[in-house]
Amino acid sequence: MAFDPLSIRSQFPILAQQAYDNPLIYLDNAATTQKPLSVLEAMHNYYLTANANVHRGAHYLSDKATDQFENARLRVAQFINAPQQSQVIWTKGTTESINLVAYGLEHLIQAGDEILITSLEHHANLVPWQQLAFRTGARLRVLPLTSDAEWQEELTHYFTERTKIFAVTQVSNAIGVHTPIEMLIQQAKQHGAFTLVDGAQAVAHYPVDVAKLDCDFYVFSGHKMYGPTGIGVLYGKHHALEVLMPYQTGGEMVSKVSYQATEFNVLPYRLEAGTPHMEGAIGLAAACDFVDQQDRQSMLAWEQQLANHVWVTLQKAANVEIYSPEHNATLVSLSVPNVHTLDLNAYLDSQGIAVRAGSHCAQPLMAQLGVTGTLRASFACYNTLQEAERFCDVLIEAIDLLAEE
Amino acid sequence: MTIKQQLQACRSKEETFKALVSLSKSLARLPAEEKTEEHKVKGCESAVWLIEQDIDGACYFKADSDAKLMRGVLVALLNLVNGKSKADIQAMDLANELAELNLGSYLTSSRSNGVLGILHAMQN
Ligand SMILES: Cc1ncc(COP(=O)(O)O)c(C=O)c1O
Repeated sequence: MAFDPLSIRSQFPILAQQAYDNPLIYLDNAATTQKPLSVLEAMHNYYLTANANVHRGAHYLSDKATDQFENARLRVAQFINAPQQSQVIWTKGTTESINLVAYGLEHLIQAGDEILITSLEHHANLVPWQQLAFRTGARLRVLPLTSDAEWQEELTHYFTERTKIFAVTQVSNAIGVHTPIEMLIQQAKQHGAFTLVDGAQAVAHYPVDVAKLDCDFYVFSGHKMYGPTGIGVLYGKHHALEVLMPYQTGGEMVSKVSYQATEFNVLPYRLEAGTPHMEGAIGLAAACDFVDQQDRQSMLAWEQQLANHVWVTLQKAANVEIYSPEHNATLVSLSVPNVHTLDLNAYLDSQGIAVRAGSHCAQPLMAQLGVTGTLRASFACYNTLQEAERFCDVLIEAIDLLAEE
Repeated sequence: MTIKQQLQACRSKEETFKALVSLSKSLARLPAEEKTEEHKVKGCESAVWLIEQDIDGACYFKADSDAKLMRGVLVALLNLVNGKSKADIQAMDLANELAELNLGSYLTSSRSNGVLGILHAMQN
């Protein structure tokens, strides 16, 4: 259990390449992380040695595949401290997990009920609730982003007897802010609302304990935590998963079918229609191993140190507006007055630096910040201090080149 | 050097970037009241406005963008078509003309859709 960014880096061969004759610097980790060899090997080995459809055939390979697939579920359950592995539902990602819940709870939502989200949400944790509200006549309410002290005051206006669902991100993908989820979940529970936490930006950085959080649902994507794309997780409390109406039906999720009626299978299968993403699940389990093999506290401290370095350097050296907190964030989101973020992005790209420019799937939040988009540099365990420094230098060059004369 | 030659002479992404920044300076900016929703070209990552004027049977476009590199691209595009008749513009293979401008390294796939949208608007 040790943490050394350089030795970690050697496990990510993709990072060793050049981009337009410059060393590639990958600072778009909040969009998706790169994958270590161990994850790639786990998926490769699955196809080399174990591939068969799961839960169906009674033969050697099918048993092997099913064992590996169900062990992956157990591994993910341990990773987030879910009491039972049947509480881990495989999905294709955060977006599907949230949709599954939004459709699954629809039968419990009535006109006049309230669905509460916050102003920090990614579109994935906004649009499914808005559409649910449209379908049912419920009201979508938005808890505004304010400083911690003001959160308390506002709360009583927003959590009401009518609040049926409260959905909140743990960490904002657009500006890196943490929400006080423990306190918010307690508030929501006092009002009898279902609680869903969007952990997409949290799982790669912070140890997650769903039992302690006490939320009804916790959702995340594999690809943002060093795992493969196309696999994600919906964790739920047992009773919360039980009330979800399956929003997809078909094979795997049934126990008895006639032309007249269908009996659904038990959890977790009831919510997993069709052949699952087997190698994705196995890759995600390997990603959990990868993350847990690190000294997580040092790894997080390292990522925060890189973000803080950028924050401090740019605050001093450049005419920038920074939207991320100075401390405890693993990304820096900023804009430069009178310079378009797409132009900054283009120059950084020409120097081999990958960042993200735009609204980060959070247009209402951008509108509140008064910008059309920001430039976001987001860090992962394999980034180095030299990369953070080079980002700052090149950004300052870009600002000089682009500032209006 | 013509605009086309300037762009064709660029040997790297960085050189293209700098050439577009330099071109952008020659674009006459549109006043705020002309930057209307109606004049906005759909599908561009940055905001782009395009206004067509007919002067004695010849087409003259005015354009603007909130992004500087896009303003450089607009200078190059306007240069291709301004002063020609609508029929001539419609007969041009603009996608090919665009390819000849050597903007490949600037026009990543998401951006090139936006630029093709501008060309489409010029022909229709
Ligand atoms: C906070 C947050 N929620 C949801 C999502 C959606 O994740 P996915 O596209 O993997 O479903 C993202 C990813 O961009 C995110 O950052």
